[in-house]
Amino acid sequence: MAWFTDRHCFLLAVLLYGSATVYSVFLWRKGFRRDDWVNYFLLAAGVALHTLAMTKRGLSLNACPVNNLYEATTFLLWALGLASLAYALMPRFKFICAFAAPVLFTVGIFALMPSLDPPHGPKPEFSGALRSLHAATILQAYGAFGLAAVAAVMFLVEQRDLKLHKLRALLSFLPSIQRLELIATRLVAVGFILLTVGLVVGWLLPRKDGAAYFADAKVLWSGLLWLVYLEALVAHKFFGRPARRFAVGVIIAFAFLLLTFGITNHFSGLHN
Amino acid sequence: MSVVVIGLSHRSAPVELRERFAFAGEKIPGALQALRAAGIANEAAILSTCNRVEIYAATALAPEIAFAEFKKFLVAHHAFDGALGDEIYALAEPHSLHHLFKVAAGLDSMVIGETEIFGQLKSAYELALAHQHTGARLNKAFQRAFNVAKHIRTTTNIQRGSVSVMSAAVELAEKIFSNLAEHEVLVIGAGETSEKTARALQSRGVKKITVTNRSSERAQALAAELGAGTTTVPFEQWPEEFERIDIAVSSTAAPQHILDRAKLGPLMKRRKNRPLLLIDIAVPRDIDPAVNELDNVYLYNVDDLQGIAAEYLNLRKEEVARCEKIIAEKVAALLAQQNLR
Repeated sequence: MAWFTDRHCFLLAVLLYGSATVYSVFLWRKGFRRDDWVNYFLLAAGVALHTLAMTKRGLSLNACPVNNLYEATTFLLWALGLASLAYALMPRFKFICAFAAPVLFTVGIFALMPSLDPPHGPKPEFSGALRSLHAATILQAYGAFGLAAVAAVMFLVEQRDLKLHKLRALLSFLPSIQRLELIATRLVAVGFILLTVGLVVGWLLPRKDGAAYFADAKVLWSGLLWLVYLEALVAHKFFGRPARRFAVGVIIAFAFLLLTFGITNHFSGLHN
Repeated sequence: MSVVVIGLSHRSAPVELRERFAFAGEKIPGALQALRAAGIANEAAILSTCNRVEIYAATALAPEIAFAEFKKFLVAHHAFDGALGDEIYALAEPHSLHHLFKVAAGLDSMVIGETEIFGQLKSAYELALAHQHTGARLNKAFQRAFNVAKHIRTTTNIQRGSVSVMSAAVELAEKIFSNLAEHEVLVIGAGETSEKTARALQSRGVKKITVTNRSSERAQALAAELGAGTTTVPFEQWPEEFERIDIAVSSTAAPQHILDRAKLGPLMKRRKNRPLLLIDIAVPRDIDPAVNELDNVYLYNVDDLQGIAAEYLNLRKEEVARCEKIIAEKVAALLAQQNLR
């Protein structure tokens, strides 16, 4: 079975995420009327294979698998998938899987691009407990932001149905919009704390001579994200920014994160 | 011996006739005794509600003879001297069992899928049982009917959703707010519909209800009706309540809007944009529809709520075929079981 690599495992996981995405379309069209476990089990099987893929990669490296864009992206998706499964166990939250599946599938396809996973040298470039902690906390923060964006999408769907007086708002097995708003806010707060910890740990890491932490493109990009999420949280919690605008902001911020995550790595001296 | 049913319901007879044949609760045991003593029924139970009067019986007589006897009994018992056409229906097995199961499941009710009839049927059966007017045949039929009704309730959508304006309003509130016990309600106008809506919200445990009305006496009377935890505010001061409350039910007789976008906008800022559910059940409307365009404001008027109730009713009607199939299977199973004995 030597030919069956961690990438094959991840490919199978992405296919399961794809199946869950297709099933999600049916659930969406039916207005999320029935309490459905099919999507949950599809996603759970995907996350199990995803975990296996990451374990295989981690064992082969003897380190946390966060050394290149492929590994970082799979780590981020893994955090998002696992958190979705945990949240789906809460009352009326099962359909979070239907909203998370398209994100896991599309970003998973992107992660499978061979150019994102160049062969490693004899020793992982990113070894050491502090480095692993830095990468893991930051990627978990992105996972939390991703799940917040998923909750925000659920909020906007339900809020729109309520505003337009659609019966689907009442028939669907989705939580109340106040609950969705609370969950999205808490996830942004958790992501923000994790991002802060990750950035502080990154600052503590030893750097090559002359490398300035705060002049690095990736650090500046992360700082920008940190500010965006801080502003969103403060405006919503303390200045009464309406939940709809908060939700839209959280979705845009996560879309920006996903779209620019790879690019900033290329311009980062510290991360190349 | 077979199970038969004879009676009249909202489907076959107007209320004027139904009330003539209604049995007072305390007179039912005597009527059952009379039926058995006359040899018409070996076992019997009487269901008498505002929508139906029915005698369920196990009889050794041939159905045609039994139906004529039951009809004579009904007419004589109620001293009815009018003319009767098709208002009284009579069903023999298997239709009688099918009918009993349908009644238990609420499929024969005026509001399809309603659950009140289940309790009424259970009480009718328990009364007959307590006075020893039932036996193996009726006991089996009624117990199976209750089981089938529960099965239908849990496996179909026949009882899903709100089919009244009041319950639709409560369901909306629960889709917006996580826990109604943390939210306060303002009732503007002390009309009957607002009272019913307030009561429906109260039954779901809202934190507090405040009533306001142009006539403070009526506001106080409604607050007293609603009981502890209900207060009143002078009508001129109701906008100030908007900082605290999250649900407002409005039903004043005002000829124009009492709440519009210009008035609500600043109030929403003071509320820090917390979600606000506005239920406008007044005609003409109390609340300008444009307020629904404001962030975190959810406005429903009486047409919206009636539309929800009607759509739910349609959904229930769509489920009837599924329920009928279940009932047909269960009746066939019951009859097969009885034939084996």
